[in-house]
Amino acid sequence: MGGVLSRGIERWLRLEEEAREIRRKQADWKFIESQPPRLRIALRLYVEAGDLYVASRVAGLTVEEFNELRKRARIPNVC
Amino acid sequence: MSAEEFAVADTCFLIDWAYWRRRNVLPGLFRAVFVPEEVLREVKSESTLEWVAENLATGSFALFTETQDVVGFARAVVERSRMLPIRGVDLPEAVCLAIGKMRGYIVLTENRGALMAADALAELSGVRVWRSLDLISQAFRRGILGGDPEAVFMEYEEDTGHMFPPGGVEGRNR
Repeated sequence: MGGVLSRGIERWLRLEEEAREIRRKQADWKFIESQPPRLRIALRLYVEAGDLYVASRVAGLTVEEFNELRKRARIPNVC
Repeated sequence: MSAEEFAVADTCFLIDWAYWRRRNVLPGLFRAVFVPEEVLREVKSESTLEWVAENLATGSFALFTETQDVVGFARAVVERSRMLPIRGVDLPEAVCLAIGKMRGYIVLTENRGALMAADALAELSGVRVWRSLDLISQAFRRGILGGDPEAVFMEYEEDTGHMFPPGGVEGRNR
């Protein structure tokens, strides 16, 4: 496999931090904290990481089912 | 036929896009959009399944059965992405990136890890990755969509719970 291109890494890190802040600010924390443990933990993971697939696996839901939960929790998909 | 006339959709993209009121813009942008079997398995709602099935029936979408060489390349991409200080990719997105590399299809995703990997990994050089933002912009350029682009972007955000960077396409590289 080839080498890693270093360009752009810092920009991606900055964009990731900005997206994380947006998710933290806009999330409905009251809704998130009211969920059963598995869903609550998965929603918190989504806020921090923004990864729908991984969060859906933690929640034990399909991606589409978790995406619906994400919308109910008012967590924006920032991409 | 140019491979650029084909696209492959990952799960995050397809599920997001399916909730947009103008979702039928997608078939007009490509000769066919391939949907990997792994992606199809993640779709559960009747509305989304119906939409996917309608497009499979008309040939606008086509099923992509993942082969061993694609999965093998994808697993290597997963490992390589985890060596970077940025978000890695998981196998479903990596499969789409592998298809993009090996078949020359445009990769449709809403997963930032996939965008980062395509940008940062030498083995994915040349892979074209588009988000809904890019697709909507293309639809305007090709005259498939008309009217005020900002209003359409806002519509998409409203329907999908998505958030675009300020300034649309130009704003994404802030």
